[in-house]
Amino acid sequence: MLGKIKKETAERWGYMGFKSLFSSGIYFNVFAFLGLVTIAGLAVGLHGTYTGYHNVYGVTRQIPWGVLISGYIFCVVTSTGLCLVSSIGHVFGYEPYMPIAKRAVFLSIAFMLGGFIIIFFDIENPHRMAIYNLLSPNFTSNMWWMGTLYGLYLLALIVEYFFLLDQNHSMSRLAGLFGVLFGVAAHSNLGAVFGMLHGREFWYGPYMPIYFIVSAMMSGGAAIIFFSCLAWKIDRTVLTRRMERAIMAVCQLTILLIAIILFFTFWKIISGIVSPEKYIAIQAFLTGPYAPNFWIAELGFGLVIPFILLIRSKGINTNLMFIATGFMLVGIFFMRYDLVLAGQIVPVFHALHVEEYSSLLLYTPSLHEISVVTAGILIAIVLYLGGEKVLNAHKFQKHAIVPPGAFICQGCGGIHYMKEGESQDDALKRHHRMRKVDREDEHA
Amino acid sequence: MKLTNIDLEKLIPENLISVTKMERRAFLKIGLVITGVFAGGRILSVTSNVSEAFASGKDFVDQYPYKPHYSMVIRQGLCIDCERCLKACKETNSVPDYGYRTRILTKIVTDAVGRKREFIPILCNHCNDAPCTRACPTRATYKNKENGIVMMESKKCIGCKMCILACPYEARYFNAERHAIDKCNFCWDTRLSKGEKLTACSYVCPTGARIFGDMSDPDNVAYKMVHQVEKQVWVLRPESGTKPNVFYMKATRSSPWDLRKQDGAR
Amino acid sequence: MKRMALLLLASLLAASFLFGSLVAFAEDEEEHGGDIIYTKPLKAVIFSHKAHTEDIGLECDWCHEETFEMEALHMQENTDFTMDSLCNENYCGTCHNGDISFSTTTQCARCHIGVKGYNDLVRQGKLEPAEGEEIPEEQKPGH
Repeated sequence: MLGKIKKETAERWGYMGFKSLFSSGIYFNVFAFLGLVTIAGLAVGLHGTYTGYHNVYGVTRQIPWGVLISGYIFCVVTSTGLCLVSSIGHVFGYEPYMPIAKRAVFLSIAFMLGGFIIIFFDIENPHRMAIYNLLSPNFTSNMWWMGTLYGLYLLALIVEYFFLLDQNHSMSRLAGLFGVLFGVAAHSNLGAVFGMLHGREFWYGPYMPIYFIVSAMMSGGAAIIFFSCLAWKIDRTVLTRRMERAIMAVCQLTILLIAIILFFTFWKIISGIVSPEKYIAIQAFLTGPYAPNFWIAELGFGLVIPFILLIRSKGINTNLMFIATGFMLVGIFFMRYDLVLAGQIVPVFHALHVEEYSSLLLYTPSLHEISVVTAGILIAIVLYLGGEKVLNAHKFQKHAIVPPGAFICQGCGGIHYMKEGESQDDALKRHHRMRKVDREDEHA
Repeated sequence: MKLTNIDLEKLIPENLISVTKMERRAFLKIGLVITGVFAGGRILSVTSNVSEAFASGKDFVDQYPYKPHYSMVIRQGLCIDCERCLKACKETNSVPDYGYRTRILTKIVTDAVGRKREFIPILCNHCNDAPCTRACPTRATYKNKENGIVMMESKKCIGCKMCILACPYEARYFNAERHAIDKCNFCWDTRLSKGEKLTACSYVCPTGARIFGDMSDPDNVAYKMVHQVEKQVWVLRPESGTKPNVFYMKATRSSPWDLRKQDGAR
Repeated sequence: MKRMALLLLASLLAASFLFGSLVAFAEDEEEHGGDIIYTKPLKAVIFSHKAHTEDIGLECDWCHEETFEMEALHMQENTDFTMDSLCNENYCGTCHNGDISFSTTTQCARCHIGVKGYNDLVRQGKLEPAEGEEIPEEQKPGH
């Protein structure tokens, strides 16, 4: 279907055809290799479906949620973050963020699909979900809302991306607004999935939904920087002045968000230490079996190292930003893993002081689980690598012929018409509904 | 040492048998006031409280809103871990080897005098405010409107395991044969609905450690067990606020209602 | 060097004492019946000869052969080897009646070690499992 896109449409969409994938030998080899790894991972996952998950997964009755849920959360957190951070530009009209929109929304969809693939292998009867989510909904269930809101969110993202491709900016903006609304609702609700389990002290409370939204934006910032820097490594021409400016702005935001998450983490620990229910779980992460996860991966890779590197990069040094956000994405994965496990490692009957539950519960991911998570995340990356080539590095189309009275927008790359006596700058602001600022006045 | 001037033989025993039912009920209407924390559970003791003394019976009714209100009383001291209940449960409800609907935990009290061992049976608490039913996205698990049993409708279960996490009593597991979460349902499908009076576990219990009954009936043995002034009754994990229907108490074979076995038990 | 040698000598001495005492302990156990584990009518009840003889100084003939046969587990075959019977001051109830020692109507899990206690003993190699009996692996939390 995509192969038969009209030439005009293809130009507008920046569609380069699948042949563009073969343009570089090394690139295609990497793409094909990752694709094969993904397929292998999915095959291992399907083997698990066939033999029964309880035989091949490391999750137990006591720890029913393992690395699959962590991987799912990682993917949807990144997706929401990408959507939220890019919306600052193309939905809420802050010009410096505009050029990242196309790639960010594309990646957002890619990560959402990756997340859904992972959760598909976690849920035992996904076919029943399709039926009974509709036929027998439980409106008090966070899980029901999660499925529903993320479904709507993905729909909004796809509509938004279609209009972004089609350069219909007012429609993409409207769809983007719904994307943001559903995204925030879905994602804070995902936090509430954990935060409303009143049998689990570690998670219970309003902290989770709030933390999820803020840390989503941090992940989104990291993902945008990481994948934009990667795009520059693939194709130098992507690095335009506007893109540089955009990444600098995202970098500044990400530094701020890391600082915020640092203090979130700090207070979570401090308040947890004085709470007898949370103390054991917190100790397991400070000094216990999960200490390397927390200190090295979560705090070191996820927060401190990128914080320093991003500040040092000044938002200009792409290599440094690339390394920093690469560390960050690894660290963020461990953050999700730790978060999922922390609420489960203390047995529910710990306070009974019985022999059976005298020690912390342990969980080790199995090969099947790791394969599925790898496949899920790789799906997003493979889609990204494909998208960079097939969709012309998400560049906005350069219009060859500019009709009289029109101009190529500096912001979106589309064609805008000027009203009589209107400058290009004013027309741009009008099209993108930005507040008119009298520059002369401002400087004076 | 001898107790002088008191003829113990002629005294009317001051236990619950000598208290009329009306007196007992009147006393209970004063309210079950929750006090203290004991052995990982909260003691529900029957103590008078001025502020509650004039309260309507509403709280009391709220506590047992179903008819019949099925409940289990675990007389902790009587459990000897013979595990007949576990075997009966597995056989009655075709529970696979990798799972269990009920379990017996061991508690070793090293600094105790005499007996140092204690066995604590656990099962689904069939909470009045069950967190699992709220968490289930498709209402595959629900509270039966009549008898308050937390049940499963297996065909609706999507297997998200949310309810396992939501349950503060670890009462649920995924049953691969049923393709659904499985849990204790007080043997509703296998026994109670077929006219049996007891669950499989309480039927085979040789010591009467598991007393199954109807809390909406003040004449029921389970009701009488729980509502004794001199007995400490507690529930597990009260801080979760789930209003569980499995009550725990200490007991020996010489306790009042000296039930070797529950009526109807094997 | 000298100090090291001394230390070595001391530890050797200590070890030999420890070993000696272990052997002596085992010999002591020979003098009485050791631990008896009853599995009928239900699993499992422990009777410790050591607790009754060494610790509180009962003589063999106080119980043998009038109340209990010398052959271990003999009374398990009797149909009246039940708690009801014990409460009527038979078997253990002869002394465990609340007067001489704690009553059989109290402290159930003091003698009843349960299936868990039985399995533990088998796993520790202190008890031979019955024929064809499978002892489940120890349930480790989380696995």
